Amino acid sequence: MSTLQEYKCPCCGGAIAFDSGLQKMKCPYCDTEFEVESLLGYDKDLNSEGAENLIWETNPGSQWQEDEAGNIRSYVCKSCGGEIIGDENTAATSCPYCGNPVVMMQQFTGNLKPDYIIPFKLDKNSAKQGLLGHLMKKKLLPKVFKDENHIDEVKGIYVPFWLFDADVNADIRYRATKVHYWSDSRYDYTETSFYSIFRSGNIGFEHVPVDGSSKMPDDLMESVEPYNFADVKDFQTAYLAGYVADKYDVTAEQSITRANERIKTSTEQSFASTVQGYATVTPEASNVRLSNGKAKYALFPIWLLNTTWKDKKYTFAMNGQTGKFVGDLPMDKGAYWKWRAIYTLIFAVLIFGVRCLFQLF
Amino acid sequence: MKRILTLIMAFLLMFSFCIMPVSADETDDYTTDDLLVYENESLPRLVDDYDLLTYSEEEEITAKLDSISEKHSCDVVIVTVYSLDGKSAMEYADDFYDYNGYGFGDSSDGILLLVSMEYRDYWITTTGSAITAFTDAGLDYIEDDFVSYLSDGDYYTAFDIFAEDCDKFLTQAETDEPYDYGNMPKEPMNIPLWILISLALASLVTCIPMGILRAQIKNVRSKANASDYVKQGSMSLTESRDQFLYRHVDRRLKPQNSGGGSSTHFGSSGTSHGGSGGKF
Repeated sequence: MSTLQEYKCPCCGGAIAFDSGLQKMKCPYCDTEFEVESLLGYDKDLNSEGAENLIWETNPGSQWQEDEAGNIRSYVCKSCGGEIIGDENTAATSCPYCGNPVVMMQQFTGNLKPDYIIPFKLDKNSAKQGLLGHLMKKKLLPKVFKDENHIDEVKGIYVPFWLFDADVNADIRYRATKVHYWSDSRYDYTETSFYSIFRSGNIGFEHVPVDGSSKMPDDLMESVEPYNFADVKDFQTAYLAGYVADKYDVTAEQSITRANERIKTSTEQSFASTVQGYATVTPEASNVRLSNGKAKYALFPIWLLNTTWKDKKYTFAMNGQTGKFVGDLPMDKGAYWKWRAIYTLIFAVLIFGVRCLFQLF
Repeated sequence: MKRILTLIMAFLLMFSFCIMPVSADETDDYTTDDLLVYENESLPRLVDDYDLLTYSEEEEITAKLDSISEKHSCDVVIVTVYSLDGKSAMEYADDFYDYNGYGFGDSSDGILLLVSMEYRDYWITTTGSAITAFTDAGLDYIEDDFVSYLSDGDYYTAFDIFAEDCDKFLTQAETDEPYDYGNMPKEPMNIPLWILISLALASLVTCIPMGILRAQIKNVRSKANASDYVKQGSMSLTESRDQFLYRHVDRRLKPQNSGGGSSTHFGSSGTSHGGSGGKF
């Protein structure tokens, strides 16, 4: 059994990759297309726990310090014999010499096997278009950024995510007020009524994602949410062909805190929205209990773009399924103050104008 | 030494007793003759007895008062005197108006501003239709306008403002709805102040569009909630109680709009006057 998996075209023997436009495997050489399911046989070993064949070779030599060496794995490309270097989490990549996509099978064996995958729907060109679109119509972006920045790399990455399901049971107590005004001939009255409000109930959450890769900034990953779970597929390594993939290095136990935070906030918001018709609502006590917690392991598609401008790196991410594009951009200080001055002037003229009208009538 | 001092004191005391009744007598048997009464019929509408204004200023004010008075058929008069001759400012102003034959028509319509320099008193007296044209609230408004100039010694400006205000009030009175409480002429707008206020407010409001522009280029942020992942229709309340606890009523006295209008009194001549005044 080999740890490196290449998907070969049954017609011509060329290396094949997943095509996001067709949602099929496609041979770039002879244009043959395959259903992903037909390659299922390749994955048959994944569920056999243990038997982790250490066919990958760690490079023992003296080139690497010990702590570094622990993170480096090298593989031999089956097509050209070239050495493929990856870190301990690399699960899919392409050979730097022949460009053939390879999948490191042992990264998915046993309980490392993801439950789900959302295949890429958008290709590299959409990601580049996405960046162009992202740079459009942004008044505070330095004008030259669009022309001067250059894309260092565009990577299609399957990012490991933990998906948490939970049933939530919550009791929340609020203090609320209603205000009523009226007046008679002598007095103005303000009546404030105080209420104690209690809400108890259930709410369920499905597939709350938490980034399971320490390499990916969490806020960037949360910014490209949400994913549409309707497109989810059972995991097959064939989907990874042609993309980069990492296995998780943050465990489900470590990730659950973040999921719980989000679930708790959402529960409180949902419950608060049932308290209506009051002038003020303040939560007094909140008891949120989670049960039936389940964690699933999934790979979600992200296009990652790195650009450099004035020696600074900018990282952008595009949701490989929905096309949502995010990424912080540099700010043009001059433009900022210019627009600030313009808006201030406009508003000042408006306010002054209203005041003048008030004077006239 | 002490004895001599007490003697002198006693002497002075006696002396002052001799003087006091005499001066008291003088003020007591005051008659209209002591009043500054002009013999000729056509009294000027500005009587600057104290000479607060220069000749050219006097002419300007007189011309203004004349034109306003003719326009509204209601005398607008300004009088400056040395002293009130022991009368109250109100009495002096009323008498001056009545005995000098001011006023239009049978009801002697008119308004008079008296300025006495001795104790820095002023009084505005209204007569006839001017009583309704200048309500108590209206007089307060006019006083607010010009009295500060009197205090500063800028008499020309004070009188000019008084005349302008009278014109404004008399014009309004012709619409059957004289300026009164709740229906005051608008304060003139303080333009530099309002430019500053507009700019200050605008710089606050500007934070909204600037926030939007900033969000366009800084759009990486954590998601606080998991609202995208709520199982559809999974939200159900098993218990929902809205319990009334107590109520609290806050009662505040309405700002007094005490009906407005003018309070009146009778002068020594038996004529009814409205008026208002004070020190400056």
